[in-house]
Amino acid sequence: MQKLGDFKLPHFFNYPPYFTLQLVKDTREKQVQLWKELILDYCRTQKLFVIGLNEDFPLFSNPAIERSLSHEAKEVFLSSLVSDGRAEWMDKGHKKCLILWLRIQDWADCILRFVKDNGLEDGVMTVEEIRSGIESRGTELHGMDRTVLMRALRLLEQKGKVAMFKGSSADDEGVKFSA
Amino acid sequence: MRRRPGIGGLQTAAATRDQYRLVGENVARIKTDLMKEQLTTFRSQLEDFARKHKNDIRKNPAFRSQFHDMCAKVGVDPLASNKGFWAELLGIGDFYYELGVQIVDICLATRSLNGGLINLQELCNMLCQKRKVARESVTEDDCLRAISKLKALGSGFEVISVGKKKLVRSVPTELNKDHNEILDLAQGQGYVTMEEVEKRLSWSSGRAIDDLETLLEEGLAMIDDGHKDGKRRYWFPCVSFVTTS
Repeated sequence: MQKLGDFKLPHFFNYPPYFTLQLVKDTREKQVQLWKELILDYCRTQKLFVIGLNEDFPLFSNPAIERSLSHEAKEVFLSSLVSDGRAEWMDKGHKKCLILWLRIQDWADCILRFVKDNGLEDGVMTVEEIRSGIESRGTELHGMDRTVLMRALRLLEQKGKVAMFKGSSADDEGVKFSA
Repeated sequence: MRRRPGIGGLQTAAATRDQYRLVGENVARIKTDLMKEQLTTFRSQLEDFARKHKNDIRKNPAFRSQFHDMCAKVGVDPLASNKGFWAELLGIGDFYYELGVQIVDICLATRSLNGGLINLQELCNMLCQKRKVARESVTEDDCLRAISKLKALGSGFEVISVGKKKLVRSVPTELNKDHNEILDLAQGQGYVTMEEVEKRLSWSSGRAIDDLETLLEEGLAMIDDGHKDGKRRYWFPCVSFVTTS
């Protein structure tokens, strides 16, 4: 089985027609579904959050069979993920796509779990500490995208689970976890 | 016997007929008894054989194949019915029934990838993977037998030959001769181009495009426009191994 680094690629990745947007409805549906699963899987394991359509994304071409996805195909697959609520366009021109291999709600749950596991109720942490501190090592929070983290925190803030505030240093925010 | 005239003669004739009849019945009864005895011996020997080799038949494809040959020679079809002597003793009906169910499973699972047409070899490989746990491997021969049983149930399963390969069809799509020829052509590289179809089969472009469009619609073919020569290729998952490594 072919691998991209550590990642095991599915069989369809080596089958040339999957790199051409299919015209027959049922065949295309199957194709889109397979690609969506692959994109989510890959981003999850590689902890990638943003796909730029004009940049080289290793998943979108297979040099072994000399095939690459067209811009249109990439847009179709990503748009479908957006419709599923698993991605968001970051710009009107559809050039960058935020991949939510965990939904914002899932990230929020992650944070709550993290608070509980580390006895942080009533505690305070900076946003940066949440994603790169020692406590988060080994969890999904470690190394996560800051934008996504902020969104998850804001969601929790709305629910009254955390309170955000500006810290002493100008460039980081603090989070107070409720009891 | 000398015929005697008169009533006496008639009585003798009747008595003689009776005697012959009795002898005849006796002979028949002796023959039947003999046959019954032979059958009983045969049956018990068969039971012994079956008991001894039941495991072999399940686990060993070569032995199983020989077993079928032997049955064929004797004029016995162990799969003829799921009840009865063979089925009960050997459970061989169950073996093929199970296989049939697994085949249906695999065909359904791969249908969206290959349009309902799968290479027999690939099907067999996938079956062996599935059965690895039970360590009961199967041969293509076994698959064909199981499929013929499925066919008898009217389930729409059929084995078709394309060139040297056998494909298992699990959808009601009928493949006409034209389609068959295209599939045969595709076996070389897994795909065809319209040019190739026109040239190698000497068809008009209209005929070629119609057939290829139908095959695309049926989900049996996929388009590939990515080659640097710019020619559209029509790939057929059923002649390649798309689902397994």
